[in-house]
Amino acid sequence: MTEPIIQCTDVHKWFDHFHALRGVDMEVEKGEVVVIFGPSGSGKSTFIRTLNRLEEHQQGTIIVDGIELTHDVRNIATIRSEIGMVFQSFNLFPHLTVLQNVTLAPIWVRKWPKDKADQVARELLERVGIPEQAEKHPAQLSGGQQQRVAIARALAMQPKIMLFDEPTSALDPEMINEVLLVMTGLARSGITMLVITHEMGFARAVADRMFFFDEGVVVESGSPSDIFDHPKEERTKLFLSQILSH
Amino acid sequence: MRTGELAAFGPIEQPPPMSVGVIGWLRKNLFSSWFNGLVTLGVGVALYTVGRSLLAWAFSEANWKVVSSNLEILTWGRYPQDQVWRLGVSLAAILGLALATWLARRGQRRARRGLLVAWLLSPFWLAVLLRGLILPTPLTVFNHLGYYLFRPELLSALGVEWRGHVAVLLVGILGGLSWGVGSTRWRVAIGSANVAILALLAPYGVRGREIAPGILLPNLVPIGLLLGVAWVLGRSAFRRVANAIAIPRLLLPAWLLLLPTLIILLTNFDVGVERVAPAAVLPIVEPAIWSGILLTVVLAAVSILASFPIGVLLALGRRSSLPVVKGFCVLLIEVIRGVPLITILFMAQVMLPLFLPTELTLDRVLRAMAGMTLFTAAYLAEIVRGGLQAIRREQYEAARALGLSEALVTGLVILPQALRTVIPPIMGQFVSIFKDTTLVTIVGLLDLLAVAQSVIKQREFLGLVREVYLFAALFYFVVSFAMSRASRRIEGRQGIERTRNLAAE
Repeated sequence: MTEPIIQCTDVHKWFDHFHALRGVDMEVEKGEVVVIFGPSGSGKSTFIRTLNRLEEHQQGTIIVDGIELTHDVRNIATIRSEIGMVFQSFNLFPHLTVLQNVTLAPIWVRKWPKDKADQVARELLERVGIPEQAEKHPAQLSGGQQQRVAIARALAMQPKIMLFDEPTSALDPEMINEVLLVMTGLARSGITMLVITHEMGFARAVADRMFFFDEGVVVESGSPSDIFDHPKEERTKLFLSQILSH
Repeated sequence: MRTGELAAFGPIEQPPPMSVGVIGWLRKNLFSSWFNGLVTLGVGVALYTVGRSLLAWAFSEANWKVVSSNLEILTWGRYPQDQVWRLGVSLAAILGLALATWLARRGQRRARRGLLVAWLLSPFWLAVLLRGLILPTPLTVFNHLGYYLFRPELLSALGVEWRGHVAVLLVGILGGLSWGVGSTRWRVAIGSANVAILALLAPYGVRGREIAPGILLPNLVPIGLLLGVAWVLGRSAFRRVANAIAIPRLLLPAWLLLLPTLIILLTNFDVGVERVAPAAVLPIVEPAIWSGILLTVVLAAVSILASFPIGVLLALGRRSSLPVVKGFCVLLIEVIRGVPLITILFMAQVMLPLFLPTELTLDRVLRAMAGMTLFTAAYLAEIVRGGLQAIRREQYEAARALGLSEALVTGLVILPQALRTVIPPIMGQFVSIFKDTTLVTIVGLLDLLAVAQSVIKQREFLGLVREVYLFAALFYFVVSFAMSRASRRIEGRQGIERTRNLAAE
């Protein structure tokens, strides 16, 4: 049996007096696609942000790819270059072109020569379906296109793990599919993915396991069929009935 | 009737024309209502009255000879006549560089890089051209360094033996620090460098104390002990702080600096060679006699160019999470902003020498530059801070999530965006400090306005005050106006990008 690529034990996090994470345990195997869902304020977003230390956990241990997350700056830099992240609001750099957005980190962190970074970036833009937009600025693109650039930007660092924090919830309905399509392709490629989403069709089709978060803890986890067809907890049933009803 | 509006009903495929001809424009913009018409007439009458009397005076009454015959004094004041060509060369060099930059804006990367280096070095070659250059020999450099920077009496007070101890400590700490870094090859190199230095010192240690007049080294046993202690100190220090700062990158320069430092420590700059007479390449023209437009322009250019990086650093420092850095920056910014520029100029004249070693004397122009630079930097810092605050937190997070270090996050993602948003107020601050150069009169410097006032007192042109002041005012206006136009152009370039972005949305 292989060692899990993400190993979280009893992770706690407080914002001032608000106890956002109350002992989260999670193990993710290499290549697994994990979907995390739950009501807003349940700590799901905070949790995946602790994995690349955008938030600092205050208790418990997080081990990513064999490295424990501590205050050691070198460890954090290493972890962050191994983990790609896609945000709800895309967060592209508005002063750079699409191509520059994608090549920034490979050039400055991985120290690739510009030609190599450009080539890899163009391949990635091809892969997410927008090779012709390379020279434009983010504001000239639609939301769906921006989110695909954001995915390409994260992939350019050749990460082992991809985190998605509600990647489609800021998008107009007609653009959600183009992003989900790219993510589905990515999931098939064998990269480890943690996805916060309420796109349950996507979850059922792609997820290996699902985690239901509520009030800072994992209420229930299991395969999509476990969760959708035989949920054990009342809270899971209630939440699923609410989001699946429309 | 309202022909303009009737004509506006064109085919719907095209936007309707807004007005027709000159009359349509006049009607729409100047006489659209009775109030607007009244204002237009009133302003027109006022402009005509003022303009007519000004022009009448300028072309019939005014005696412009006072300006034309004093043009040289107004421009470069007391700069020696036979050296004035240096001003011409400086101006030509800058204009040439600007032209080359404009031509190469789409050219090869190597050419642009070369130009960038030329610009970055411009303060140095301009200083050489304007102030002059005396080329020292390496030995005079060494002696001067010791004399000006380190103050011999300071090192002498430490005692030769102590200096030896410090030298060994430095070697040891550097060795210990370096040990933790990188590959085995590194370690071998570092180890052997340490042993070599120790070996060089050892014979002196065995033999005794005084090895040459003034060069004294501690004994072998204390050397060894000290070295060991220093190693342990260096290694543990490394473990603690190496992550936080880029020690590995600092180590190579540190090793390169080690040898000269050791020589300085052990010899106290007394290399026993008389100072060699330096060779003058360009005769020195002390800044103290710079005056007129030359002084105004140099003061403004230096304070604008020097204050920008300082202001940006202060703004970043003010947002630092390190309390000491933050406190220092806040204190500096608030103190400077709380004091009028004139006061700062006075303080720079009288206080600055207190902070500098007595051997190092800044002349009055440099002191004024320092004061104006700090003043502008404090205001820029607040402007830039405003720009930084406008950047959303998500931009930091996206940059950090990519694995960029904090320095890269700031330099590549945050600052470029922040600075773009504050171009207009920054340029406003630059225009303001340009005009405020007139205040240096108060500390006895002869800027354009001061020279103008002395020109007025010339006996043969007695009473011709207006002409001279008008000339000075025109100069300030033309330069300020050019600066604000330039600012508009930079903004405009950003604006084009923005409208293009909007149009595509």
